[in-house]
Amino acid sequence: MKNTLDEYRSRDGLSQGELAEAVGVSRQTINAIERERYDPSLELAFKLAAQFDCPVEALFDPGLDD
Amino acid sequence: MTTTESPATTKLSKRRTYRRLMYVSVFGGAGIGFLLRYLDYPVVGEAVYIVGVLSFLAIWKGSDVQLMDERDWALERRASLTALQITGAVLVVVASASRLVTWLTDYTVPTLVWGVLYGYIGLFIAFGVAYLYHRRRL
Repeated sequence: MKNTLDEYRSRDGLSQGELAEAVGVSRQTINAIERERYDPSLELAFKLAAQFDCPVEALFDPGLDD
Repeated sequence: MTTTESPATTKLSKRRTYRRLMYVSVFGGAGIGFLLRYLDYPVVGEAVYIVGVLSFLAIWKGSDVQLMDERDWALERRASLTALQITGAVLVVVASASRLVTWLTDYTVPTLVWGVLYGYIGLFIAFGVAYLYHRRRL
């Protein structure tokens, strides 16, 4: 799924490891999400949105508008 | 020169270390156990094997860091599905071929092959039971 996770992460100056630690997953999971190889669960998507204080749809684009 | 690691880095490296230890325990135990059985120390071999498995479980359940996350579980689900699909295809083809060979020729399919096929069937029955169990809860 298309996402802007790396942009938000860079904005806050976080490494993948630090973000992973903050939301309770592995660094590899954050990397896989940023590379659009893994779609996070709803729970993780909401945790990430809460971490960056933004709505979930600002982070993830399911591409339903096509 | 000194380097300072953030708590996140420390926790991630701890996670990596524990995960490595888990796999070293279980695969090391299995490997050394196999070697000891081969060298004619069957009881010691079994003990090492069991200790390896118990160490795996102890690290997994006793660790203070989260060793598996949702992507790990997703990977396991996908790997299980792939393994099941491959096993299913092998079962269908080999079971059918074995029956045909038995009926149409004088060749006797080795007991070992039937044992493996029945093992596969047992695996699929276990899958079906587990599936029904989870379906009632989901």
